[in-house]
Amino acid sequence: MRWFLRRAGWSIFVVWAVVSLVFTINNLVPGDPARMVAGAQAGPADVARIRDQLGLGRPPLVQYTLFWKRLVHVGPRDIDARTDPSHASCVALVSLNRSALHLDLGKSYQQRRPVVDLVAARLPRTLALALAGLLLQLLFGVATGVIAASRRGSWLDRILVSTSLLGVSAPTFLIALVLQIVLARGLRWLPLDGFGTTLSEQARSLVLPALTLGIYGAAYYTRIVRDEMAGLMAQDWIRTARAKGASPARVLLRHALRNALVPIVTSAGLDFGALMGGAVVTETVFRWPGIGSLAVNAVLNRDGPVIMACVIVSAVAVTASSLLVDALHARLDPRMRASS
Amino acid sequence: MRSIPTRLESFAVALACAAVATVMLPFGCTGGLRAPLPDADDGDTAPRRGGTLRLASVNDIYNLDPAGPTDGLASQALTLLFDGLIDFDRTGQIIPNLAEHWQIEDEGRSYRFHLRAGVRMHDGGELTADDVKRSVERALHPTTPCPTASNFEDLIGYQLYTTGSAPHLTGVTVDGRYDVTFQLARPDGAFLALLALPSMRPVCATAGDRYADTWLPCGAGPFKLEPGGWARGTSLRIVRHDTYFRPGLPYLDAVEWTYGMNVVPQRFRFEDGELDMLLNPTQADVGRFAADARWKGLSVTLVDNVVWGEAMNTRVAPFDNVEVRRAVAAAVDREHLAMIKPANVSPLTQLLPRGVPGFDPSFEGQRHDVAAALEHMRKAGYPYDPATGRGGWSRPIPYDVFDQGFETSSAQVLQQDLARIGLRLELRIMAWTAWQAITARAGASAMHPQGDSADYADPSTFFDHLFTTSAIRDEGTSNTAFYSNPRYDDLVARARRTVDADVRRALYHEADEILCDEAPWAFSHGQHDYVMRQPYVRGFEPHPVWPFDVRRVWLDRADAAMPRPLSGGLR
Repeated sequence: MRWFLRRAGWSIFVVWAVVSLVFTINNLVPGDPARMVAGAQAGPADVARIRDQLGLGRPPLVQYTLFWKRLVHVGPRDIDARTDPSHASCVALVSLNRSALHLDLGKSYQQRRPVVDLVAARLPRTLALALAGLLLQLLFGVATGVIAASRRGSWLDRILVSTSLLGVSAPTFLIALVLQIVLARGLRWLPLDGFGTTLSEQARSLVLPALTLGIYGAAYYTRIVRDEMAGLMAQDWIRTARAKGASPARVLLRHALRNALVPIVTSAGLDFGALMGGAVVTETVFRWPGIGSLAVNAVLNRDGPVIMACVIVSAVAVTASSLLVDALHARLDPRMRASS
Repeated sequence: MRSIPTRLESFAVALACAAVATVMLPFGCTGGLRAPLPDADDGDTAPRRGGTLRLASVNDIYNLDPAGPTDGLASQALTLLFDGLIDFDRTGQIIPNLAEHWQIEDEGRSYRFHLRAGVRMHDGGELTADDVKRSVERALHPTTPCPTASNFEDLIGYQLYTTGSAPHLTGVTVDGRYDVTFQLARPDGAFLALLALPSMRPVCATAGDRYADTWLPCGAGPFKLEPGGWARGTSLRIVRHDTYFRPGLPYLDAVEWTYGMNVVPQRFRFEDGELDMLLNPTQADVGRFAADARWKGLSVTLVDNVVWGEAMNTRVAPFDNVEVRRAVAAAVDREHLAMIKPANVSPLTQLLPRGVPGFDPSFEGQRHDVAAALEHMRKAGYPYDPATGRGGWSRPIPYDVFDQGFETSSAQVLQQDLARIGLRLELRIMAWTAWQAITARAGASAMHPQGDSADYADPSTFFDHLFTTSAIRDEGTSNTAFYSNPRYDDLVARARRTVDADVRRALYHEADEILCDEAPWAFSHGQHDYVMRQPYVRGFEPHPVWPFDVRRVWLDRADAAMPRPLSGGLR
């Protein structure tokens, strides 16, 4: 428990540090968010008015303080934007008698909507894509890695390793394009792009982007699993297991694979965190409305509140998944349990 | 540590690549084009009602309130949702629209409009003079993020109203159910054209008198937005306004945009008939369509309403020397530049692009002449010998350019052009937002590409804020060449303050001559949209003012001939 609290506290510090760093950089980089909202042709007086309306006239330190003050605060339990505009961009997290704990990520400069709403609409889609993509990466990667390790030096091993090299080398947009041309345009099995309106359409729309991430990432896992297992298969205890009469499959899966899981879990945890920050290229190519495309547009438009929200989502995802990975390590490897 | 690929692995990769290519070949890759889809071919050329026009874009829209910030993409929908008091005909002349007629009095200080009776808004209400006044006050209210409000600062009472000191705008008066008068403190020759801006278009009573982000856009245009019609970040569908004041129009049942669609899927969907028009295809695709005889006659080049040039900071050496600027203007090979993106770019030698009133095709403007450029360099005191490469300006000149395909390519062409006269450019490529801030800061940029699109159909949209002394600021200036010429300022001010079209034309022409001679910019190219259409899309013609006008488009589609749609639809 103490270990967990220490790690959780460290994670909060990391999130704070990352968000503060991004806030500082966003304020230092040349560019005027009000100009981005108003457009290139707007007159100086119009830009100045919009700047005031967005609260950008205040000193950066005041903006920074207000951001943290507003991020989590206590407010009314029922939020009514019409009668109480000061909480129009909030969402109630936890009810506390007559009041509630609010989360307020501000209002998008560009879209003029509460950022909480924008993120809430996209987070489940990013989560679905990240989980599906990671699942396929692990499925393809571990399976091919185990097969390659078990047939080390054979033609099958060479083909699998070479294919994984192709997967690592090919950029995601190229994989996406090939899948679009073959599976969507040629065979017409799956949607070309988009998100769909019904659950079944959304599930079908998820296949190609998830497959793109799966193929791309699987290549890494193939190499990790193969190399890791190749080393493990030469260990004395594997020989002992064989000598005791364990079947080749049991030796491979029960003894070698289990011990190879530690680096796989580490990579998977970090990959999941990164994917939650948004698989920008895949989301863009497949018109998958997730956090990645939201973040890119926000950066291009200098939409500060959205940038901060995307950074928070990404930082929380990375720290949470690394916390989970550490917990899993302790579960998978008794030596780590003892050391912690 | 990743293992290093062996020779065998490399061979296998090559083999796998070949296998992928082989798999893709039967599906045509991205190269081959499908045939255009046939029209109904029933010999009937009269426009008919019905159908949904489907369009797509890589970008997204953020706002559909005409009083708020808009962009070129949102404008496509805004011009269909909201009609203005005036409109422009196919020759670019101002014509009545919601206003039946008007009188200009008091030497251009008073504009009295008489509205058409019986014009129905999307909410069913009749358009009255009160709606016009309420809409204008809503747009100019200090809490509204209107980016074009300052264009109306000559309206009487503007200052008091926009600072919150007066509850109403005294310069807009209602003189009866259908009569409304705009009174200006001084004449404004661009005022009629300014009234076509989205922010000045009447909105329904449901909009109230204050801007609100939650309002469902509602106006008097030929199409209306129904609840749920705008799926933010995804699509927009607007449907015919059945009680539109022009009988029979529009022909289409609906217009639908899908946003955020990548260029390759756009082309696939266009070929398969899931999109009816393809806006600004890639240059590679333009080439494919142009080379395919089956697609002949199905491309439409829209009108130029954007000007681009090479802005030279007149306060920074060597461009503080007018002869160096003249040399640059003569060294730029505009034909060569346009070859980078011929479908969307056309050479331009003067300030006004072809689509803006006042463009004079007979005016030569700046001319490509390397010998003349070398002579200007000699006069500037930096003679250059192209044969030996000796002379010229000794130091590299930083050229700030933002990171986009055309601009980074054109920068390299410019670099070669200027090297021929002894000016060495050092490209500094940066993000758009940074570029925008740096180029608008005094002394921060020596040279950069600069463009401007027409906000409204009048020469003042360019002349006023790009080159006047009053537009110069230390931060956020629109005069990024920091050019100042009292004679030019006087001509432009006089042109703005007169309503006589001939006098204005002559004044702007003289101002343009000064710009072409003193060259704060080396004007380089105009920019326009390029559209491919399916044969069954009829009535789509370039409009001289509205960049993408589908108000008279109709569909003549033979549905029996449609291929099986791509799985998943557009959503």
